[in-house]
Amino acid sequence: MQFFQYGNEGYKSVLDPRTKLLLLIVINVVIIGTGFTGTDFLLRIVCAAIPLILFLIIRRTRTALLYGLVCLAMFFGEAVLIPHTRGVLNLLIVITLGPFSRILVGYAFAYYMMCSTTVSEFVTAMKRMHVPDQISIPLSVMFRFFPTLAEESRAIRDAMRLRGIRLRGKNGGVMKQIEYEVVPLMMSTLRIGDELSAASLTKGLNAGKPRTHICHVKMELWDWALVLLSLGFLFYMLVLR
Amino acid sequence: MENKLNTKDLISIGIFTALYFVVVMIVAFVGYVPILMVIMPALCALFGAIPFMLFLTRTKKFGMVTIMGVLLALLTFLMGRPWPCLPIGIAAGLLADLYLKGTGYNSVKKSTFGCGIFSLWLLGMALPLFFGYHDAYLQSLRSGYGDAYVETLTRLTPDWMFWVLAVTIFVGGLLGGLVGTKILKKHFVKAGMA
Repeated sequence: MQFFQYGNEGYKSVLDPRTKLLLLIVINVVIIGTGFTGTDFLLRIVCAAIPLILFLIIRRTRTALLYGLVCLAMFFGEAVLIPHTRGVLNLLIVITLGPFSRILVGYAFAYYMMCSTTVSEFVTAMKRMHVPDQISIPLSVMFRFFPTLAEESRAIRDAMRLRGIRLRGKNGGVMKQIEYEVVPLMMSTLRIGDELSAASLTKGLNAGKPRTHICHVKMELWDWALVLLSLGFLFYMLVLR
Repeated sequence: MENKLNTKDLISIGIFTALYFVVVMIVAFVGYVPILMVIMPALCALFGAIPFMLFLTRTKKFGMVTIMGVLLALLTFLMGRPWPCLPIGIAAGLLADLYLKGTGYNSVKKSTFGCGIFSLWLLGMALPLFFGYHDAYLQSLRSGYGDAYVETLTRLTPDWMFWVLAVTIFVGGLLGGLVGTKILKKHFVKAGMA
């Protein structure tokens, strides 16, 4: 799995990173702020469909399928099950569905953003928006680092299983969990940080000269269409409702 | 020139913000049970403090904690929280940074206090539940989550609860700072990493 990779895998990134950022905000605003009736529901469906289409465009069919199925189940649960149940059962469904449905679409879009944008494109777009280096460098390192963290923690858990260390049941507890999982994670964070700064030194990030790039970052027709769409959504959310 | 941030510092900010944010998000998952909603931000602060204390051992210049606050505020904003989360996050980072600068960035005890101040950025996360955003947010929940959930939530979150949350978050950050110091002492100082 490649995130935020340094070269494209045969497809052209369709959208400008700036459009993606705007869309991410708008999708989250809509998903968090809307209910399940009338226009609200329509907006939700459109927002949920955007990552699906984008996944298909960058040829991640499996991700798209999985996402689509989970989304369908979620909408079914929220629109049909919850209004028709009462009491404890209702609360139970809400608690199981709640955390996922409110963030699923936003997470899916963030995931799309990370796997369709190269670091170079992202930094270039930041530069175009006149974001200072002090923000854009940590920001791109951060986005790049999320998947690394997932990988590292998987490796740590594998290593524990290999040695027969189990944290479930009697041996468990939050403090144990922190000691066995978070501490090694912090250790590798430190190490990776040192490696990254060595790499940046080699790349001449410190040189103080303006950055050059060969990647193509431009607002195209699609971008403007999506920007218009998201502005329309924002207008609806902030003014009409 | 020594006080200017170099690329190494910027990269440390990036990776530690990522680690901090992931820890907070994992803890925040617990918060969807209505009763826990009230102590959830404090728990986030508590657990987030552990990587934050490690970050502070790498912080020797003014600006690093502020930038971390800015980044976290941006992330909250990207997640669709109302815009005042931006000033809240930036202010929390700046205040913590100013306080830590006063201590010279090298007192462990005072870092714990700074950690408490910094944790206040979490208020931006809880914002939709309070003040002007309260009614609209809950109304949007009602049609989807059913009345039982919304009523429990309404009872739990009158506006004064926001200030209670601020206090619990601060205390959570302090406690987390203490736990973090202990963990640093046990694992990192011995290994010569902090």
